[in-house]
Amino acid sequence: MDCDAFRNEMLDLLYGEAAPATGRRLEEHQAACPSCREELASLRRLRRDLAAWQVPADLGRTPESRVRTPLLAAAAALVLLVGGGWALRGSEVRYEQGRFAFRFGQGSGNAELQAALAAQEERHRVDMQSLRRSLASTPPSDETLRRVQQWIADSEARQATLVATGLARLEERTEARRQFDMAQVGAGLSYLDGKAGLQAARTTELMGHVLQASQRK
Amino acid sequence: MRPMTPSDEELVERFQNGDRSAFDILVRRWDRKIQGAIYRLMGPGEDVRDLTQEALLKAYRGLGTFKKEARFSSWLYQIALNVCRDRMRRVRGKSTLSFEDLSEGGELPGATGPSALELIETRDLSRQVAAAVNALPQEQREVVVLKEYQGLTFLEIAEALDLPLSTVKTRLYRGLGQLRQQLVRQGIGGTAPVPAPSS
Repeated sequence: MDCDAFRNEMLDLLYGEAAPATGRRLEEHQAACPSCREELASLRRLRRDLAAWQVPADLGRTPESRVRTPLLAAAAALVLLVGGGWALRGSEVRYEQGRFAFRFGQGSGNAELQAALAAQEERHRVDMQSLRRSLASTPPSDETLRRVQQWIADSEARQATLVATGLARLEERTEARRQFDMAQVGAGLSYLDGKAGLQAARTTELMGHVLQASQRK
Repeated sequence: MRPMTPSDEELVERFQNGDRSAFDILVRRWDRKIQGAIYRLMGPGEDVRDLTQEALLKAYRGLGTFKKEARFSSWLYQIALNVCRDRMRRVRGKSTLSFEDLSEGGELPGATGPSALELIETRDLSRQVAAAVNALPQEQREVVVLKEYQGLTFLEIAEALDLPLSTVKTRLYRGLGQLRQQLVRQGIGGTAPVPAPSS
């Protein structure tokens, strides 16, 4: 056996898979060839280093709630992806680094809200300029402080109203769309499974098997 | 006298004859190994448990029509690999383990990052090996994980990857070579490659 042949078959020897006759020839060669002997020894040392990478002992112990809900999570994400596109135009569902992230966008239905906020911001800017001017000339009076407190209270009330109105509208539309999409998703899954009732039962059964078996482990 | 432990193939046959409980035994036997493979292929940033369940679910769905031309283990690993590949495709830019994931504090040695001195100081061989394996090209990483960590035979790997034996060995040898170079660069000594003499 020459060095090329040795290196072609060396992995069998390294992993203990060489047939007896091949193993003998490989052993004979490495005994006589310092270079091949050192190459094999180097790979054996490498394997010892590689063995240092252990799987964490708690890898399989996932919190029960997470084990039980992957399909629910997937269904929820599907509903968000389908329904959200309609009800929350401009909003975004992203799957990043193994997690879903949701960001509210600015749908056309929010135009009034945006306009009201912009007007309020402009009023605040004018009021703040006026306040700065008055503070530069005279120390703040009780009246000034009262006005500032009133602005803050008014601002908070307006913000709360706008947010509540926006959220209520959003919730209303999302709920209506959610119900519609749930029906569509259900019908879609049944269609994909072929025979609706039987397949749904089988899916439930097999999930039960997988989960039970993995938890009894 | 203890009853003999049924082989995978016997359990598959029992399942195909209607004994669904046979799958429970297969899951208990393979769940942890599949998790280990997925963990090493995908890295700690991924939801290993969910991917494992996805693989086992696919196995359950396909077991009824599984042809016994290949070993059950090869077939199961093939499913797990496909689940991982699908996930990698879906999560672009996250196909390999990041050094940040491994270091948790950003101190992990990388191929172009810290000095050898810093690497020696970390003395965290496990993380360095993990980083080196995850820096391999996917096709080499798959073979290295299946051989080195899952202990599959070359034949089983060839079945799982649907590749010729010679390709499996070539990928493994190249993968080991890259790992050796990477670990030497990281200051883990004694594994430098030995050039073959001209023969």
